[in-house]
Amino acid sequence: MAGATSATGFHSEAANRWQLRAGLRRAVRPAELLGVLGLALVLGFWWLMTLVISRTALPLPQDVFARIADDFGGAPELALYGVGQNGLLSSMIYTGENVLVSVAIGATIGTVTGLASARFRLAREIIDPIVLTAGTIPILVAAPFFLIWFGVARISALLLVILYVSTILYIFAQRAADNLDPVYEDAARTLGATPRRVIRDLLVPGTVPEILGGIRIALGGAWGLEAIAELLGLPDGIGKIIQVLSQQTDAEGIMAAIVFLGAVAVLFDALTAVAFRWLTRWSATWA
Amino acid sequence: MTKRRSVGIVVLVAMAGAWELVSRIYTGEAAPGEPMVPGWEVVFTRTLRSLSDYWGGGLGVVAVSEGGKRTYEGALLAIGANSLDTIARLFAGLGLGGVGGTLLGLAVSWSRWTRFLVQLPGHVVRTFPLLAMIPLFQLWFGISFVGMMLFVAYGAGVIFFVGTINAVKNVPPIFIDYARVLGASRLRLYRTVILPAIFPELRSTILLSLGLGWTLVLGAEYLGAQTGLGQIIVYSEQFAYVDRMFLVALVFVLYASLSYALFDRLSRRLVQWVPRGGP
Amino acid sequence: MIRIENVTRTFRRAGGGTVHALVDVSVEISEGEFVCIVGPSGHGKTTLLQLVAGLLPPTSGKIVVDGVPVTGPGPDRGVVFQRDSVFPWMRVIDNVEYGLRCRGVPKERRRAISRSYLEAVGLDGLERSWPRELSGGMLKRVAVATVFATGAKVLLLDEPFGPLDYVTRHQLHDVLLNLWQATETERARTILFVTHDVDEALTLSDRILVVKQGRLVDDMRSTLPRPRTTDSLVVPEALRHKHVLLSHLGLEAPGPSGAVATGAGA
Repeated sequence: MAGATSATGFHSEAANRWQLRAGLRRAVRPAELLGVLGLALVLGFWWLMTLVISRTALPLPQDVFARIADDFGGAPELALYGVGQNGLLSSMIYTGENVLVSVAIGATIGTVTGLASARFRLAREIIDPIVLTAGTIPILVAAPFFLIWFGVARISALLLVILYVSTILYIFAQRAADNLDPVYEDAARTLGATPRRVIRDLLVPGTVPEILGGIRIALGGAWGLEAIAELLGLPDGIGKIIQVLSQQTDAEGIMAAIVFLGAVAVLFDALTAVAFRWLTRWSATWA
Repeated sequence: MTKRRSVGIVVLVAMAGAWELVSRIYTGEAAPGEPMVPGWEVVFTRTLRSLSDYWGGGLGVVAVSEGGKRTYEGALLAIGANSLDTIARLFAGLGLGGVGGTLLGLAVSWSRWTRFLVQLPGHVVRTFPLLAMIPLFQLWFGISFVGMMLFVAYGAGVIFFVGTINAVKNVPPIFIDYARVLGASRLRLYRTVILPAIFPELRSTILLSLGLGWTLVLGAEYLGAQTGLGQIIVYSEQFAYVDRMFLVALVFVLYASLSYALFDRLSRRLVQWVPRGGP
Repeated sequence: MIRIENVTRTFRRAGGGTVHALVDVSVEISEGEFVCIVGPSGHGKTTLLQLVAGLLPPTSGKIVVDGVPVTGPGPDRGVVFQRDSVFPWMRVIDNVEYGLRCRGVPKERRRAISRSYLEAVGLDGLERSWPRELSGGMLKRVAVATVFATGAKVLLLDEPFGPLDYVTRHQLHDVLLNLWQATETERARTILFVTHDVDEALTLSDRILVVKQGRLVDDMRSTLPRPRTTDSLVVPEALRHKHVLLSHLGLEAPGPSGAVATGAGA
């Protein structure tokens, strides 16, 4: 009897940890597999709404897609305002570059400091309060300051997104390292692993699922943050296009830009998901 | 716990000191007479008084635009009034989005039908970059309380939707089986087993949505509100009044921190039963 | 040889106050012995094992293994934990090789060693599997193969088979005894095996230490012939030991045969 109860306790403990990841993954998988169907439902709802809302406020789906195609390589009505001379694509490249560069930098900073804080007391005592204090500041508060201090330029958006991403990854990496069952480290130590090995063979692979989950979340938020930095005054990017068009209350154009941005964000999310699967193929949950 | 708090205070003081130090060393100006990094003394005297510009008059304090003087009373009234606007937009949105998102999230596990109706559109909608959609909400609902509230509700709803789905999936099946064996109806199962069981995890969802909510309401106010703390910040930015931006941002951050602390204290009581202090 | 000299270990309780997990324990274990540590839960068995493993330092006293004082985990001692410690992110073969990799054994050689141990525990053909694909019993086999593969002379097992079912547990007893008796090394392996299961202790050990309330209260030697069968456990000697153990665990009143009859000390 004692054996039986400890057996269930034992399994549920391990299972719980993986379940969290499973939850994340399962919540996402249908969106990828059946995304087409979901998209159709959303489009249907959208189309229904156009029957009751005026076209100027809510254009037809097909008009929005046509607009994306029209403005893709060049948009004369935008060029008039000095943006998007080369169309949605060139602005999207600007936005995408900013997002990917700053997510890469921010994720590196956050992960390294987060893992370090989980292992070195001193690092934790110094960094934790800073991040926790900074973490309570809604990131967007910093945007106008960056725009004034560093100018309405790329660097401001980069810094904003880096700050955001590194804070998230710090917390995710630290939590992942804290949650790693200490039995693994005990086992590694009794097998003769040096501290460096413990980091390389345990800490890094054992925390990869959560860190990747953090990167996905951060990436998702980064698109919006980058867009609003552009809305607030950057010279280029999808956000800039949205800003110009919203001054002319061009609903069709705004929706075209947002749908395009959304599609790119979904694409990158799916790419991250694929990387996620491959790197965590050992994980118990999606067997 | 107390040690952690004292370390936090030390860090805050250090950050404030660093700010003052930078303001003394770096005296660059964003515009003539407007320092890039305003020192504390300026912030709490001249800057604070200048906020009375945003008081529309009343309660015995004449608006600056109508020839009134810049006073501390006016400034405090201005901060209070704009804070109320911001906070009302935030919490109305959070409440609406929280309830809506949770219900939709629960619907995913309720039955096959509701899952089919809700899950896929929900996941498609949630992948859209939120902050980029502010202009769209403005277009649809105007620059109004309702527009901003709905925008916050939309963002919070997405978080609650995903958070609820994950939390329900993480409810150990044994609890559900146990309740079923005891004869619980579906409604009773949700009320007595699933809701309490997902609450600890929803706690982090609520905290997350609170953080996002502050960001969303700020974003909405940045892009063209007539009142609110965010509006003052972005308006000041256009005139390079860094000191005003800074002071209002401080107030804003203070509210955000208070809201986290308050929620933490309230919810801690509700999750006392969770082993090892909860998530 | 393991020498435990006047070892005491206390823990600080979260709410203040101290817990004496082990009090002044002294014992010598000779090379090649299979020693079981038996006692009620929470009475210090696991602590004793962790002290020998070097995962915990003693509050006072010292532990010497082969003339070298224990100051931390070392290559001379391997541990099989109660919970699953097989790394889920490494394939089975990489898990078994891990200790050898830490010792800098060249790839070819460690592959060969790991393969032979995987075969010995009956998992040949599963080298490339992920741990999630294995059952609880198989995971224990991997853990056993891993510590044996390192070549450690002292093996510490902390209720390793506790969560397993009856059949699996008995299969693993055979696996463990076969590996222990295999003479591929010039020196025999010493095993310290913590269990709360009296029959398990009687089946496996040469010697049984009873730890109760942090103290070593009994030290019994078993001369039952090996291999042991179901019948071995009903011979008078085994039954006498069993009664003594059960009375230590509070399941029987001390009978006429007497708990003190075997006495402490070697």
